[in-house]
This record gives sequence, C-alpha cells and structure tokens, in this order.
Amino acid sequence: MDIRLLRPSDIPLIQHANIENLPENYFLKYYLYHALSWPQLSYVAVDASRPKKSAYDYPKIVGYVLAKMEEEPADGVQHGHITSISVMRTHRKLGIAEKLMRQSQLAMVETFGAHYVSLHVRVSNQAAIHLYRETLGFQTEKTEQKYYADGEDAFCMKLELSAIREQIREAAARDEPAGEGIDAKKASEEVSDVDGKSGAKEEPAKKEVKVKVGRGLGVGELVERVASKN
Amino acid sequence: MPQPLSSREANLFRTVIRNYEDKQYKRGLKAAEQILKKNPRHADTMSMKALIMNAQGKTEEAFSLAKEALTIDMKSHICWHVYGILYRTNKNFDEAIKAYKFALKLEPESQQIQRDLAILQIQMRDYQGYVQSRDVMLKARPHLRQNWTALAIAYHLEGNLQQAENILTTYEKTVTSAPLKTDFENSEAILYKNSIIAETGDTARALEHLETDAKNCLDRLAVMELRAQYLTQLGRKDEAAKAYRALLERNPDRQDYYKSLTEVLGIRGDDEQGLGAVYAEYAAKFPRCDAARRLPLDFLTGDAFWSAAKAYLTFMLDKGVPSTFANLKHLYADSSKKVILPALAEEYLAAKEKAEANADSSKGVGAALYFLGQHYSYHMSRDLAKATEFVARAIELDPKNVDFRMTKARIFKHQGELEKASLAMDEARSLDVKDRYINSKAAKYQLRNNENEKALATMGLFTRAETVGGPLADLMDMQCMWFLTEDGEAYQRRGNYGMALKRYHTVANIFDIWQEDQFDFHSFSLRKGQIRAYISMVRWEDQLREHPFFSRAALDAVKLYLAMDDKPHGTNGVNGADGKGENGEDAAERKKAVKKAKKEAQKAEREAAEKAAKQDPNKAGAQKAKEAEDTKKKDDDPNGLRLAATQDPLGDAMKFLNPLLQFSPLNVEAQVVGFEVFMRRKKYLLALRCLRSAAAANKDDARVQEQAKRLREATQPLLGSMNPKLKKALETGLAAVMGR
Repeated sequence: MDIRLLRPSDIPLIQHANIENLPENYFLKYYLYHALSWPQLSYVAVDASRPKKSAYDYPKIVGYVLAKMEEEPADGVQHGHITSISVMRTHRKLGIAEKLMRQSQLAMVETFGAHYVSLHVRVSNQAAIHLYRETLGFQTEKTEQKYYADGEDAFCMKLELSAIREQIREAAARDEPAGEGIDAKKASEEVSDVDGKSGAKEEPAKKEVKVKVGRGLGVGELVERVASKN
Repeated sequence: MPQPLSSREANLFRTVIRNYEDKQYKRGLKAAEQILKKNPRHADTMSMKALIMNAQGKTEEAFSLAKEALTIDMKSHICWHVYGILYRTNKNFDEAIKAYKFALKLEPESQQIQRDLAILQIQMRDYQGYVQSRDVMLKARPHLRQNWTALAIAYHLEGNLQQAENILTTYEKTVTSAPLKTDFENSEAILYKNSIIAETGDTARALEHLETDAKNCLDRLAVMELRAQYLTQLGRKDEAAKAYRALLERNPDRQDYYKSLTEVLGIRGDDEQGLGAVYAEYAAKFPRCDAARRLPLDFLTGDAFWSAAKAYLTFMLDKGVPSTFANLKHLYADSSKKVILPALAEEYLAAKEKAEANADSSKGVGAALYFLGQHYSYHMSRDLAKATEFVARAIELDPKNVDFRMTKARIFKHQGELEKASLAMDEARSLDVKDRYINSKAAKYQLRNNENEKALATMGLFTRAETVGGPLADLMDMQCMWFLTEDGEAYQRRGNYGMALKRYHTVANIFDIWQEDQFDFHSFSLRKGQIRAYISMVRWEDQLREHPFFSRAALDAVKLYLAMDDKPHGTNGVNGADGKGENGEDAAERKKAVKKAKKEAQKAEREAAEKAAKQDPNKAGAQKAKEAEDTKKKDDDPNGLRLAATQDPLGDAMKFLNPLLQFSPLNVEAQVVGFEVFMRRKKYLLALRCLRSAAAANKDDARVQEQAKRLREATQPLLGSMNPKLKKALETGLAAVMGR
C-alpha cells in the first residue's frame, strides 16, 4: 500500500472508490475543485503491488481522503474539513484511513495554518466514529439533525491541531542553526503570527494579494455541494 | 454600428442586460419586446432576446434569432458577442472562438470579450492564440499578478519555457516589499517557477532556486520532495540520502522513498542484506508501518524470504487483516514464492488449530482459511475444489463473515456458475446491509448474470432517493462508470443492443463532460493561485480518454457496431438479433419487450409534459425545479431504440474508434477492431495502419497474421487500378507485417 498525494489523474478511480463505498457521492468536477483549490490536502492509498494490466493502467485507489479548508469559517478561525474519506472493504484493518488523515492534517497546518480539522459522520457509523474518536482523537462537538439526505443525523467532530503546530514550531527552531539566529526567530514568529490572527489579512504594512475564494468563480456553486439536506 | 435608441429605450436595453445577468428571464424578455415594438429591427435587442431564450433552453430559436440579428447589423459587437456565447453554451468552442474574434475586432477594448476568448482558446489548446490574448490582457492590467502568471502559463503550455520563466521573473522584479511568508499565492508562484526551471533540464539551477527563493514555501512536502529529487539527479548522494530519510520520517508508507533511498545509498538491487537493513530500520522505528515490512518480500529470496514471509504472514493473520492475500499475490510471479506462501499459511493454520484453547486463535484460523481460499481461487494457483473447501470451513467458523461469503461467490464466478455467484453475493450483502461496498459487489454479480433490473434495484438501496428519475438517473449524475459499462455489457449479452448502446454512449458522454469540466478552472485556478495543480490537470485532461473506463466501453461499442454491420437487423431497428438464440430470448419476446419499452417511453413523456404544464411559472420553487429540469436535457431515446436502428453502424462506431486509436494506440484490442471497421469501410490504408500498430504492440498476436492475409486478399484485385503510391504503401506495409 502506497500512501501519497492525490493527482488529478487519480480522480476517476477516487470517484470510483467513493461510489463503491459510500452513499454520499460527487461528480468529477467536485473532486477537481478540491484538487485544484487545496492540492496539498488530499491523499490516496494505492495498491502499488498490483501488476500493470496494460500500457494505460491507472494506479488502483483502495482508499482516499478528500479534504479542504473552510473558505469562510463561521468562527473566523482557519480550519480544515474532511469532505470524504473511505477505504475499500478489502483493504481494511491496515490503518490506511489513519495514515491518510495524518498526512492531510500535517499539510493543513503547514500550508494553510489550520488550527483544527472538522468532519461529519453518520451517528450509526460505529467503525468510523471509533477511528475518529479513539485512534485520531476527534471530539464530538454537536449533533446535526437530519444532516444526511436520507434523514440520518450527523455528529460534528473536531480535532485540535495544536500538537502538529507545536511540532512544526520546534522543527523550525531546530532546522535553523545558531548562526542563523535571526532567521530562526523569524520563522517561529511566522508561525505564531498565524497563531494570533487568521492568516496575513491584518498586516497592513506589507503587500497583500487577496485571493478571492468560492462564490462567483464559476466553480462557486460547487462549494458545499455536499450530501447535506437540500 | 449599433442602431441609436431613444433614451427611454436605451434605459430599457440596460434593463434587459441586467435582467439577463440576474436570471430574471421573463422580465428581460418583456423589456426586450417593448423595445422591439418600436424598433422591430433593432439588432442588439434581438440578440439579447436570443441570449435569454438560449438560457431558457430554446436553443434553436435562439440561434435563428441571433443569426437574423447579425444579418441586420454585421458591425455590432453585441451581436457577435451573443453569437459567440450561444456557441459556447452549446459547447461548439471552435465556432465560438470565431464569433468572439469578430466581436473583439469591432470592440478591441472590451475586457470581457477578451477574457472569454482567452478561456476558449486555452480550452481548445490554441496556445498561440492564448499567448496573444494573455499578452493583451497583461498590457491592459499589469498591476495584477494573475495576469503575469497567466501569460507565463500560456508560454509554458506552448512549450516556450524560457519566456515563461522570464515573465515570472519580470513580475518578481516589480515587487518592492518582500511578500509575507504566509502569502499563499506568492509561495505557489515561486514553486511554479521552480517547476519550469526544472523542466528546462537545468537541475543545478532548479536546486539553487529551490534552496534560496523557495526555501520557505508553504508546501513543505513539495519542497522536500523536489530537493531530494534534484540532489539525486545531481549525484549529491549523501545529501540526497538525508533528504529521503527526512521524507520517510514524514511518511514511511511511501514506496518510492525507500527505492530512492537505497539507490542513493548505492545498495545494489541484489544485495538482500544491505537492502533488508534499511527496511528493518524503519520497521523497527514505525511499528504501524506496513511498507517497511512488506516490501522486503519483493527482493528477498531463499531462506531470508521464508523467514520474512513467515513473520509478515503471522503478524497479518494474527490481526485478521483481510487484505493479506491481495497484498502478496503479486509475489506469485516468482514460482518459489508461489509455493512458500501457501505452505506458510497451512503451517500457521495447523499450529493455530492445535492451540484451539486459546480464545484469540479463532481470528487467526479464520484469516488463514480465508487466505488459502483466496489462494486457490486466484488464477495463478487455481484449484477451485480446494478453494471451495477452505472457504466452507471459514464460513463454518464465522457464518456471518461478509468477506468469506464474498469469496464463496467469487469462486462460483470462476466456475462459470453465474447464477449461484449472484445469489451467493446477495447473501453476503444481506449480512451487512449498511455497507455499500458489498452492495456494489452484489449488483455487479447480478449484472454478470444478466439481471439488469435486479442489479439496478440493488444499487437503488444506496442511491439518493430524491433524485428525479430514480436510481439510474442518480448513477448517471454521479458518473458511476463501472455500473453503466457492466449494465451495457449485460444488455448486449441479452441481445438488447439498444440498451447496450445507450449505456456505452452515456459513458462516452460523461467523458465529454469531464473534458468540459476543466473550462471553469482556467480562470478559477488563476485566482486560487494553485498553478502547479492546474498544469497537472491540463496535462491529464489532454490524455483523458486513454483511461480504461473509456477504452472498455468504447471497445464494447465498436464490437457491437461491427456485429450489427455483419448481421443487419430488420426495419424495426431493435435488438439486432444475433441469430444464435443461445441466450434464450427469442425474437418474439424481444419484439414484445420493444413494444412495451416504446409505450413506457411515451407514457413517461406524457407525464413529464403534464407535470410541466401544472407548474406555476411564477412561483420561485417551481421555477427552480423547472430550471433543473431544463438543464437536465430530456432524453428522447431512453431505451436506445434510435441508436440501434442506425443505418450506418460503422459510421457511428467512429465516435468511439477515433479516440480509442488516438489515445490508446498501444492497446492491441483497439487496433484489431479498428482494422475490422476500416476493412468493412474499404479504407485499406487505415486498416494497414491498425495492422502495423497491432504488430508493433504485440507481434505474437495470432490475429495479426490472419488480418494481414485478409487485407492482402481484399486488395489484390485492386492493385492494378490503384494509385502507384498507395499500391507501394500497401505492399511494403504488408510485407513488413507478414515478413516477421
């Protein structure tokens, strides 16, 4: 099993794994929207030992995590969100989901300065709830009534990413030897800077290139086109 | 020239535009009518009216009105612009580009026309045109970084790496204050530039740029991976090894990192001990890592393999990991490993069964039985009687186990017992009705047993209930390729060519949608700033139809069209009778089925019309529902009757054959069916080309010589009257294939 970053060319087989495993499905453009907005966050598990069947064989996807950053966080705090995650039944008990999640979480912090990651899970999905709660340390925030199209409730779960943030801060300090003291200080400041505010938005002195997100971009209608009600 | 309007009507005209933009089509039309009442030949208003009608789904009327407007006023940029939009929304991008170019000539300052044109150009891969457009756009608004990046992308895709890099550098020089480290767009732009430098082949410069300019880029993984790769390419092995070790710390389940690390460490591929030591180090460090434990099984031999395999198998079977066999079966290519692995599993099983008392051992026993069941069901080590026995024992041990039951069904399938297989898989499904995976498998096995209706009902247990049109519509919306293809194949086996063709065409249409899906991202990605991901998407889209999802359905379709051409069916144009009657559906039954299908289609149409008529167009909800219905084009041939009634099956086959040959030239099957189509169409040179490609891809394919003989026989009598060039090409080509 190979755990690696998602590539656009993986998408047809990610879509295949999704519709094979889960009742919440998406058309290809929604996957593209993730892959082209936050390419650092989505990972796949590939059956790398499978012999190639032809010159045009695509790596078989046996698990994936499709993740994003919340574009307009209601609480104003930068955070990631798991749109979909699944592992083929034939490849369970290998810890694949956990590995996928950990890679994604690391990138959420490194690349986008995420403070926490959230997700929704069916209240009846014991296996997944166990993974999120016991293995990964998620906590249930609240229950969202009738979140799923079939009327089932969802648990809103959340995991603080402070441990990863701490880890990165330490690594940054370690990587800069004493001779480059100024840089090291700068690096750790950058991290704490993100800590205090959400992103670079409150730095008036420096040049700011604001990236408009979400709505009105042609792909905008894809935002939150999830399996939630309506 | 735009015709003048009175100020009142000029105001109205602006209202029309606003209404169109706000999607208030009814009001827009009303306002347009008011203008046209006084100025019946006001071309711009006519065009706007056409645009609104197009948005309402009245495509044909919209086109004829827009054309009429153009004949009245050829010099109006609005008329040309609307004409371009009409083509664009109807996916005729080539014609749209032409119209936009006229519009732009008349109104060179229009940024909107220029932007729309640019997007069409890149969608159609008109790189030169795109460079030109982006150059103009940059000159108009040089203060936007996006415009610089876009021009660089244009040069990059055109193949002009130097210019692409120059553009990015020029922009960098205009920035006076250092961007924030958290400036995401900047971070990505730097990495994009780095990828361009690397593409020029100047790895040393790419590394230098990476270690200076890109050092603090936010995509840490990319920086680390690129650095390791550049160091390797430059032969700086010690540093490269360090870089790969850092990557393994991050993700010890990435196969390539081990491979690269052992390479830069200078460990030879046959140095089992040296290689083993590296993997052992990471296996010890990461107890939950699978790769470090499993990968050594690939290169170890003899006793070393035996003990490593034993340790791995014991660990996995104790845990009861169901994918153990799937993860090891590739080792069967080595004949000694093919013997050792099942022996180890037997040994494990015997030991566990002895220690029956241990409560924990039942998991291990089940896993070992399951492993052996899969072993004997696998094509390289098949003994279906033994497989049946092991799986039966596993089921006896744990009657509710879905995986065991699933394998039982698979064994039936290998025995050719499709009905039993279908029933067994459905039994497995019934043990875990909340799991979609097993549900999908049950549907697949039903399809293999030609139970289309049952399979759809099974799928319907998980599709969205509120989708208009039921489970099938949902599966089409969600682009469920495997189902559509298998459904088509089952219909084809049943002799229902209409439905089979219907499904294959649906698959092809989904690929059209996938190609169009990139359209919005040409502008979206510029705003998001994720340029490397965008480039990677563009390159993937260029090869989109090489995907096995496409080639499988396309091959099915071409073969079906060939069969239809061989045995033309009656005038009713249904269910090409294959004459063999082996599937038990005789002609009368088919006729009846067709009649019924026709009736049902008519009924559905009637009902849809009534439903639409009942809706109050002024109610918001109804309007929305209606729009949704409009965008979901009505299918006037739901059962593929018209597809099956074609008078030109070979011509229709080209829709599938052309992309097959273009994107999967190494696929022998594609060349073989291509030959058949071209032979029947008497396009001998094209047939020869397929023949030569097939021979190049697999010279041992028996069909190649047979086809070559047929081509020679077919062309022999024509050689005398043939154009000498053609004759020579045929003769030398055939000699090359047959001379082998």
